[in-house]
Amino acid sequence: MTGIALTDIRKSYSNGPQVLHGVSMSIQPGEFVVIVGPSGCGKSTLLRMIAGLEACTEGEIAIGGRRVNEVAPRDRDIAMIFQNYALYPHMTVRENISFGLELRGVKRAERHARAEEVARMLHLDPYLDRKPGALSGGQRQRVAMGRAMARDAGVFLMDEPLSNLDNALRVEMRAEIKALHRKVGATLVYVTHDQTEALSMADRIAVMKDGHLQQFDTPAAIYDRPANCFVAGFLGQPPMNFVLARDMPGWTGGKDITLGLRPDTISVAPSGEGLQGRVVLSEMTGSDLILHCETDAGRLVITAPRHRLDGVGETVSLRPNLTRAHAFDTATGARLDNPLQARTAEPALA
Amino acid sequence: MKPEALWSLAALAAGLIFLSPVLYTIWMSFLTVDSYYAGTPVLTLDNYRAALGEFDFLRYLLNSLLVSGVVTLGGLALAVMAAFAFARFTFPGGDFLFAAVVATLMIPSHITLIPNYLTLAKVGLLDSYAGLILPAISNGFAAFFLRQYIRGIPRALDEAAYMDGARPLQVLWRVIVPLARPAILSMGLYIFITEWNNYIWPLVAISDSDLYTLQIGLAKLYRENPGEDVINWPLVMAASTITILPILIGFLAVERHLVRGITMGAVK
Repeated sequence: MTGIALTDIRKSYSNGPQVLHGVSMSIQPGEFVVIVGPSGCGKSTLLRMIAGLEACTEGEIAIGGRRVNEVAPRDRDIAMIFQNYALYPHMTVRENISFGLELRGVKRAERHARAEEVARMLHLDPYLDRKPGALSGGQRQRVAMGRAMARDAGVFLMDEPLSNLDNALRVEMRAEIKALHRKVGATLVYVTHDQTEALSMADRIAVMKDGHLQQFDTPAAIYDRPANCFVAGFLGQPPMNFVLARDMPGWTGGKDITLGLRPDTISVAPSGEGLQGRVVLSEMTGSDLILHCETDAGRLVITAPRHRLDGVGETVSLRPNLTRAHAFDTATGARLDNPLQARTAEPALA
Repeated sequence: MKPEALWSLAALAAGLIFLSPVLYTIWMSFLTVDSYYAGTPVLTLDNYRAALGEFDFLRYLLNSLLVSGVVTLGGLALAVMAAFAFARFTFPGGDFLFAAVVATLMIPSHITLIPNYLTLAKVGLLDSYAGLILPAISNGFAAFFLRQYIRGIPRALDEAAYMDGARPLQVLWRVIVPLARPAILSMGLYIFITEWNNYIWPLVAISDSDLYTLQIGLAKLYRENPGEDVINWPLVMAASTITILPILIGFLAVERHLVRGITMGAVK
């Protein structure tokens, strides 16, 4: 297994903006790392630089302890799955899967046996002689995975591989990729803008914004202790609510603080208690409702069980659990300690 | 009659009008010279025997096949590699070089006639196959056309091949060329037809009759007129049929790809 070390990676284009501003990351051998961030944050550029498809302007990339900045993609022991799969349309599934082996001089019988073995693992064996144009989106996705698996590479890179699939297939493929990672045991770097994919699949998540690495930690740590307002707002669905602490009744900490409240930390209180709000939008997600409420502290989004149904325009009483709130510096957005968390016995709001 | 049937009939009539000179040429080529002038058709294969045997058209045909074939294959090889480089790589002077290639499309071929003649005379390549082939083998239009086509092939396919372990020439040969086949075939047919019909350059560059191409041989046949007091049109038409036949066969072989090549890029 192969680890990856990125040291102070910078990328800028001639006559263009700088897209990466000194990203450093140490990925352990066999680890599943998801790089997540909004469009244009530089996550795909970073992945392509690990692959060798883009050159670094500054910094060092080491794979398996070896500097690879000047090494061609074919010599980096990397397999990659592209967003649009990039299957060779003129080749059959068998040829697509075994093409990498052919280029490495593996004999025909051996590479076809390997292609068949991989196809069996991915339930593609009935389609080995078909061309990609005759496959469904999910099958094409599997062929792309098979092509990467056939080579036994030390590192797998995946660039938004599920973004072209429908929701049901995406959920299914998420589980398959996770199972595949456990089975193959290779180091896997996965790029997505979908925070659900990041939280559900990763051993560690790297959150990026505007070419800067915001936080690199386990999903639980990132969810429970986000490093700043951006990370807090980016991960979690529905997104975190941000309110100024001074607008929050019952807040006894500092004043230049922004509080981050996840929707599940705000409950509906008996009428007349807590923060008064008016429901402006109600979304049903199945067992729960997502209520968008206008309050004196700003708009708050909460999740509530359906039996606590409140219609649009109704007034509700909200009780934020301030001991579970995240505190951020209003000026910089950086995480602060929540003074109320030390005093857990103290009720959040009367 | 339904409107579709009317349109079909009109298209058929238009097709026949366009084809009529070719059909008349083929018909005439099977007549004896006496029956042609008498207006009472007597069919014969003698015109073909005479053209291929006595008047050396078999040699001209082989010369034309050799010259056009090498120009087509060599021209395509150069154009495909140049197109791949222009479409996929950034290198110093690349934009200038591509502009220079495009600029060659704006120069009428007759302007290059004398410089080419003087250059080949200086290196002693006049009156040789190389003298017929070399000036035609670099084709700016083919490089430009194929570059545009290759730019339409997703770059991710190249990148996937590089990740699979390919080198640039393997990417070209195993990925780009198969995907650009319609464009390459239609460009190949275009180069072949252009070279096959080339008259001026062989006329200027060749004086040895052993190296004559069909077009030069046809002009010579007409000029020397074996029919004495009347022109032997059936013989000239047999020679013309020999001249156009390979083009017709070639066109029918790659017609499907040619149409795709011409219409490519019209819609996404």
